[in-house]
Amino acid sequence: MFHVDSASQEETLHAILEKRQGGPRDLLQVLIEIQHAFHHVPPKVLSILAERLQVPLVRVKGVVSFYSFLSVEPQGEVVIHFSDNITDQMLGNRKLASLLCARLGVRLGETRKDGRVSVHLTSCTGMCDQGPAALVNYVPVTRLDAPRIEGMANLIEAGVPPEDWPKEFFAVETPMRRSDVMFRTPMAPGAGLRASLERGGERLPAWAEDLAPSDARRHHLERGGAETLKEIYRSELRGRGGAGFKTAIKWESVRSGEMGSRYVLCNADEGEPGTFKDRVLLTGYADTVFEGMTICGHVVGSKLGILYIRQEYWYLKQHLEGVLSRRREAGLLGDGILGTDLDFDIEIHWGAGAYICGMETAMIKSIEGRRGIPRRRWPLPVHMGYMKKPTVVNNVETFAAAALISARGGGWFAYNGTAQSSGTKLFCVSGDCVRPGVYEYPWGVSLRELLRDCGGLDAQAAQVGGPSGIMVSRDEFDRSICFEDLASTGTLMVFGPRRDLFNVVKNFVGFFQHESCGLCTPCRVGTTLLANYVKKFDQGCGSPVDLGEIEHIAKVMRTMAHCGLGQTANLHITDSLRKFPDIWNSRMRTTRFIPAFDLDGALEEARELTGRTDDAAHLSLEEA
Amino acid sequence: MSNTFFLDGAEIPFREGQTVLQAALAAGQYIPHLCWRPRLEPHSSCRLCTVIINGRPFSSCTQPAMKGQSVACDTPELQALRRAVLQMVFVEGNHYCPACEVSGNCRLQATAYHLGLHDNRFPQQFPVRERDSSHPDVNMDRDRCIRCETCVRASRDLDGKNVFGIHGRGIHSKLAVNSPSGLLKDTDVAAEDQAVAMCPTGCLTVKRVGFKVPIGERTYDMESVVSVALKEFREQEAAHG
Repeated sequence: MFHVDSASQEETLHAILEKRQGGPRDLLQVLIEIQHAFHHVPPKVLSILAERLQVPLVRVKGVVSFYSFLSVEPQGEVVIHFSDNITDQMLGNRKLASLLCARLGVRLGETRKDGRVSVHLTSCTGMCDQGPAALVNYVPVTRLDAPRIEGMANLIEAGVPPEDWPKEFFAVETPMRRSDVMFRTPMAPGAGLRASLERGGERLPAWAEDLAPSDARRHHLERGGAETLKEIYRSELRGRGGAGFKTAIKWESVRSGEMGSRYVLCNADEGEPGTFKDRVLLTGYADTVFEGMTICGHVVGSKLGILYIRQEYWYLKQHLEGVLSRRREAGLLGDGILGTDLDFDIEIHWGAGAYICGMETAMIKSIEGRRGIPRRRWPLPVHMGYMKKPTVVNNVETFAAAALISARGGGWFAYNGTAQSSGTKLFCVSGDCVRPGVYEYPWGVSLRELLRDCGGLDAQAAQVGGPSGIMVSRDEFDRSICFEDLASTGTLMVFGPRRDLFNVVKNFVGFFQHESCGLCTPCRVGTTLLANYVKKFDQGCGSPVDLGEIEHIAKVMRTMAHCGLGQTANLHITDSLRKFPDIWNSRMRTTRFIPAFDLDGALEEARELTGRTDDAAHLSLEEA
Repeated sequence: MSNTFFLDGAEIPFREGQTVLQAALAAGQYIPHLCWRPRLEPHSSCRLCTVIINGRPFSSCTQPAMKGQSVACDTPELQALRRAVLQMVFVEGNHYCPACEVSGNCRLQATAYHLGLHDNRFPQQFPVRERDSSHPDVNMDRDRCIRCETCVRASRDLDGKNVFGIHGRGIHSKLAVNSPSGLLKDTDVAAEDQAVAMCPTGCLTVKRVGFKVPIGERTYDMESVVSVALKEFREQEAAHG
């Protein structure tokens, strides 16, 4: 019935579709499974999906072409994606990718003719503390070096499927280098949830004693949620995803919103290059994260939570599903949680390679099976979010903190931090330092202390908050990291004294050009114009007038772009212009204008037509 | 009057649920816009309608009007930023106005004139894009597409057809059509579709009528984009409220 290429393909496709309800919402999740099964999305499958999921074909193709990990072009049996963050580049990932390509006889970005292997570059895979890294059939391989590349090439040539490769290739460490109050003592699964449910009180107030038992139980549940919300208020917890919105206000908006379905979404898209705390949390503290979501469900009156997680963390699938089913067995998820009337369950939705899906409204679209395009600002997701229903969207770390707050109290949490940034925060440290990894500090920690602890104090610069954050120079190392000063998602990339910071700019500008969703003009065109200017300087063709143009484009993007991506995609450039002008000035050969295109090259056709090869038929650079 | 806000100092009345742009147009005040049209869901992609409210930029096509708020719109700085965004539109595609059959009927061109655009400023990108002339009655010239998705929305919401969509991402995103071949001839598009009529550039055109009205007597030769937009809004309000 499917008319795909073979009977076994037909069977596979059938099995994938059977598991699903068969609505438009399933599109992205189904496409991911198809990509994994067939190593591409065969054109014939597109039409079948359009029909089965009741989505116009043009939209199915729109989704496939939006996400980096989906393709209509057949990929190799082994698909390799080299992580291409600046931290990977500093560790020589490009040389290793070339080495592998040369060994296998395949060009970067292409599939070998025999269909055995494809090699690509991809945005940061979240393994910056143990790079250079790559994904092999969507599973991370870390600490790449020449011998490991050699080993991989041999295994691929010998036709050994990646499942049978040596286990140490796929070892992922989760170093928590410094723990503070949140993660020093682990929370027993259920502790936060029990506390939340018990806040309903042992006895009902006198007026409620005449209620029917089911109403009394509901009342008890309500009251527990209200009391837990008070604890979240008391903690003054602010969202850990970057924007820093007060978590309690968000929860209360949904709690008091329109009746009916409400949703709890956990954002584990973690696409900001240099960030990997969600990976560490979901590996070591998945129970705490899921518990935070469940407590949120209790507070806001939701029955369904969704973890939206980037496909770079596909290797955690079994582990996360295992934790969820263990929690169901323990009565911590599902219907009638811990013997109360609380019903709540959690689904996992996968991303497919799109940084923009870390933006909450883009993430909601992605969960709905669509292109991850940020929606308009109003109405806010708390009023109209997933499936147009009131929706809480919080970061992984925020939910983990909420669980701990429920267990240990808002006051315990608020004791740490600064006036406007309460509690402790996880920081992901990578780059030129001795001890990369995740560090927990109270907000307000100075950059200097962080750099000292990780062994990176000789740095000439650091990027705080990822490429969309702030590039700081040595004389700013005494600034403190908190919402009042250096706000941060918790990412710190360290650049040692001998690094050429222009390479950082080159990497970031390319990243934003690749990840711009394309919706609005200032970001879509602005990221490309900036990338072209950086290329012009890289080729030694920069001129002072270009610097003014770069500033101008940056300003246009900052005011006019639709969402945070475009508004911040230019900050690293203007920061570097202000703080490290030498990396730009040293790339200008002259103070005069040099055009971006090769004027002499443009005359080549004329020379060919006239048969001229003499010197006078060429322009020297001075003339050009 | 109870529900009013201030647009560049002028008091503008509004109904509950109206956006800043809708209220402004209803009061006869024009805010530059390209991707917004009266009968379509706001898209917020062209960014020309950006205004400053309490020091922060918002697209007025999506921002709800709120009592007493002060909206800055026609300031030299905002007009310059709008011009810059339009310059980006012009260098991103291939817009050859003097040779284009919709010259004079083109909203992009008229808006550019209105904002005083005299050059493209940024380096021209000269993208290579496919043209689709396969359909007997409708032509699609992607060189002129500005990714406003007017056709996507109009086809879906007004024509009930879903003929158009966007493929790809970022600078590589492009207008696509709903057929296995990817060609317009295999879709159910028709020359009468709103999706075609509403294209603000020469990307979607009806064949064989391009030069029926001579240059000099076309829409924006006779009227400014301001009065065309205000009229379009009034007609829409009269018809649908």
